[in-house]
Amino acid sequence: MNYSMVKTLILKDWYFQRTAILLAFAGGAISLGIVCTGSQAAFTIGLILLVTVMAMISAMTVMGNVLGERENQTLAFAMTLPISYVEYTTSKILGNLLIFVPFWLTILAGCLGLIVATPAIHGFFAFTVIMAVEILLSTCLMIAVALVTESKGWSISAMVTGNLALNVVGYLVAHLPGIKEGIFGTQIYWTPAATISVAIEFALIALFLGGAFYIQSRKKDFI
Amino acid sequence: MSDLSVQFAGVSKKYPHFALENIDLELPTGSIMGFIGANGAGKSTTIRILMGLVHQDCGSVQVLGHPMPSDQAAAKLDIGFVSEDMRLYGPATLAWHMDFLRPIYPRWDQSYADKLVQRFDLKPQQKIKGLSHGQRVKAALLLALSRRPRLLVLDEPTTGLDPVARHEVLQELMAVLADEDRTILFSSHNTLDVEQISDQITFIDRGRIIDSDDKEAFLDRWRRLRLVLPPDGSIPRLPGVVEVGGSNRLPVLTTNRFEPAMVSVCNDLGATVQAVDTMTLEEIFVANVHCRRERLTA
Repeated sequence: MNYSMVKTLILKDWYFQRTAILLAFAGGAISLGIVCTGSQAAFTIGLILLVTVMAMISAMTVMGNVLGERENQTLAFAMTLPISYVEYTTSKILGNLLIFVPFWLTILAGCLGLIVATPAIHGFFAFTVIMAVEILLSTCLMIAVALVTESKGWSISAMVTGNLALNVVGYLVAHLPGIKEGIFGTQIYWTPAATISVAIEFALIALFLGGAFYIQSRKKDFI
Repeated sequence: MSDLSVQFAGVSKKYPHFALENIDLELPTGSIMGFIGANGAGKSTTIRILMGLVHQDCGSVQVLGHPMPSDQAAAKLDIGFVSEDMRLYGPATLAWHMDFLRPIYPRWDQSYADKLVQRFDLKPQQKIKGLSHGQRVKAALLLALSRRPRLLVLDEPTTGLDPVARHEVLQELMAVLADEDRTILFSSHNTLDVEQISDQITFIDRGRIIDSDDKEAFLDRWRRLRLVLPPDGSIPRLPGVVEVGGSNRLPVLTTNRFEPAMVSVCNDLGATVQAVDTMTLEEIFVANVHCRRERLTA
């Protein structure tokens, strides 16, 4: 693996996504600020805004970095560089994750900080972590689908699936034994059910990204 | 080191509605090969296989001594590629592209790049999306040439260019000929462009290589013979006749194995040779394609 070329490609993608990254961080900061104002309405609106901003950044980077290369016919330029398919795939996955994950971690840390600082919502701790990983999982699904299919239609389908899954998973987790008992409580708690939920989510992330690598390495036509 | 920069042996690639079949192609180091075919003949597919962008179903491909596609990263370090359907990054400037490529290619020649900026009348700080089609092709060519590649692959680079821009691009390519180590594969359906810069010609049609030779050999061995036959005379049997046109009394024979001695052979057989016409590369290409297609349908 030529890591130097992978790094060069990632920096290139970041350069073209710099405005989206800055806007997303600004949107995330504003949403967190709204959440922190303290009122019930602001908390709800801020939380919805946070999820929206996270969905937006993942969609924008995937559409721009992965699908944009084909749509703008710059894929041929990128693929004539001294790289292999695997290096190209690595740069796209890492490039997108390195944009999304710091943003995601910042928002997650902000949310958890708020929960820790507000005894009335301590019970949301485990639920919030599980749902945050679910958002990361949706993003990884979209990256994998976009890379493998290079199709806007399929990528949008993956995005819609991820967003619908967010609601379904939210409902299921809120009713999961080991989570539901303390969700509206005033104690911060972590149960084996929470550990299993997060482990399943990370296993699916590994499956999606590993699957994308596997399929990309077996592709016969890259352009 | 091999004296072949590109070697295809028995390469095939099947798609639902098109197949590249049994391609054998050799490009000696230092030569300039014109790769001519109609639209959809298989030029771009062949070039994509050469670049490792498409995997062949069978057969072997060696580029600059590297097996493709397995060793494509190493091979592409020494290849400059410009294609009609390849775009540069629209929101970035030409200067950004040069800065991006410079650390990647060890032989990047910035002084040559600066010289080409002047020659092509480009503005490094202008964004690519603000350039005309001709300027974009020149920018792509600049970025390919400044890598100082051992192999330059040009897939229909002059398509869509105005005559002035096309002339400038071809002039620059001819200037590159000064470097004898450089090898060029130039694909086009415009035979005039290819004729100007190539020393080798390969014709491809419907996924098959139909002829490949030195340009001069092509031009020397293809002729049209205009004959006058006596009233009860028959067309003399000559070698390499691929097409018979004209009328019964005034036939026109197209041969791909012309020898000056054919004139006296015709005279001996009672036919008068009215004229022996040379053929342009375009006429040779069209006759070649027609001949092959007729043979296939017969």
